[in-house]
Amino acid sequence: MILQTRTMKPFTEQNYYEVLEVSPDELPLGIRLAYKKSFELYQENSIASYSFFSEEERQEILSRIEQAYLTLINPETRKEYDQSLIASGLLEEERTFRDRTKKPIAIYNFQKTLLDSPAAARRSGELKLRIEQNPVIRDLLARDILGGSDLQKLRTVLDVTLEAIAEKTNIRIDILRAIETENLDLFPPLVYLKGFLRSYIRYLGLDERVVLDAYLKKLGLH
Amino acid sequence: MESSVSQIWPIGGGKGGTGKSFITGSLGFMLAKQGYKTLLIDVDLGAANLHTIAGVPNPSKCISDFINKEVATLGETVVPTPVPNLFLISGAMNNLDIANLAHEQKMKVLRGVAKLSYDYILLDLGAGTSFNTIDFFMISDEGIFVTTPEPTSIENIYRLIRSVYFRKVRQVLKTYAFKALADEAERRNPRATVSNPALLLQIVGELDPEKSVLLRQVLESFRFKLVLNQFRKQDNYNIGTLICKIIEKHLALRIRHIGNISFDDRVHNAVCKKRPFLELYPYTQTALDLMECCRMLLPGKEACPSFQKVVE
Repeated sequence: MILQTRTMKPFTEQNYYEVLEVSPDELPLGIRLAYKKSFELYQENSIASYSFFSEEERQEILSRIEQAYLTLINPETRKEYDQSLIASGLLEEERTFRDRTKKPIAIYNFQKTLLDSPAAARRSGELKLRIEQNPVIRDLLARDILGGSDLQKLRTVLDVTLEAIAEKTNIRIDILRAIETENLDLFPPLVYLKGFLRSYIRYLGLDERVVLDAYLKKLGLH
Repeated sequence: MESSVSQIWPIGGGKGGTGKSFITGSLGFMLAKQGYKTLLIDVDLGAANLHTIAGVPNPSKCISDFINKEVATLGETVVPTPVPNLFLISGAMNNLDIANLAHEQKMKVLRGVAKLSYDYILLDLGAGTSFNTIDFFMISDEGIFVTTPEPTSIENIYRLIRSVYFRKVRQVLKTYAFKALADEAERRNPRATVSNPALLLQIVGELDPEKSVLLRQVLESFRFKLVLNQFRKQDNYNIGTLICKIIEKHLALRIRHIGNISFDDRVHNAVCKKRPFLELYPYTQTALDLMECCRMLLPGKEACPSFQKVVE
């Protein structure tokens, strides 16, 4: 307020932002509110400004407020007005209003899905190839009982880290570790365990029915 | 008496009946209760009644004793009140022609006030915008305007503040230059004449740039306050802020809204009993509002330098 007093200019010489008492980067909503407030203050029935202005002065002020509002509320005329202020050195470019409102976010991000899927496809293709070619895996898959250490062996041969599985499947890493070390104390209830195992096996690109059965047989849960 | 560093708060408001004396009395009561040595001066010379509110129905001395040279100093007209720390210079027994104070007598009173040594000196001003009222109002930069949220009262606030404004301009420019200025302003804008302060300052700037700088400094040193009295719950809560905004924006004077005092029928009872409202009804909304106002006025809330205009 004090600053404003120091730099007070006659009302008719104030720019539209000063007239409405808003900053040059005010949002359209703020301009609307400021206009409403100013209008209430200067309108004919206002008690606060009663007798302060002559009728002509009041009309002049009101029409100036109206003009300021109509210019600033329209994005095109506002841009034009800002440009004229910038040109005459009354306003810096950086202080003007830019529409930073966020646009609605799409529920499905098609772009992201498109980018993701080829990579995933490539990776599972690679795994399949490794599974077919590697003698160790072929040997392991031929068994009808598989322990935790066998799963770990499969995983290391396929060059997949536990962290990667945890990341992708959202299964806690200590549970994954418990599965590989057959640490029964940490096992979740059987329903969940089966679900976790399916995710684990599917991530490695193995046949989930075969491997799941073999693992459960090892634990005696089958 | 040693030269004083008293804080002087003139309390005015243009219209009569808005509660200037009530607020002066209440502020004085609260300041005294807080341990400040406080003096109330009734300068509503023609229609004094601060003594009744302060609980001194028959003061032994009054301000006209000083004006009529019956006592040598203004300090000798001070009487104590029932409230400790609270003192009064009353206008109760004033001569009947005292309302029309001659210039020399007025200057004598102003000089007398400047010599008093209290923590706070509160001046209760009369209604109207006579030179006497305005000059007492301009004794300090800390003037307090009292108004009610009614058009009649607000109208008079604007009248008073403009009068103070132009009296100040006239004082700085001296009468001759002011006349030239007024003529020039009239010539340029016959419609607004000198009531348009922006135009006025612009013309001073063109005619006499040096004076214009001085004038701006003088006008900026005002630290006015506004109190809205007799505030009913259906009134617009923001009206005080809006009035201040208009004054700051269109007169370029500094003014701060310091509170709304709720209307209370019991103020009438307190005045009839000639006892302080705050003592009789301390647990009312009105009392709380008054205390909040007093808190807002005391330094610390805003830096108010404790200086005082030397009256020439």
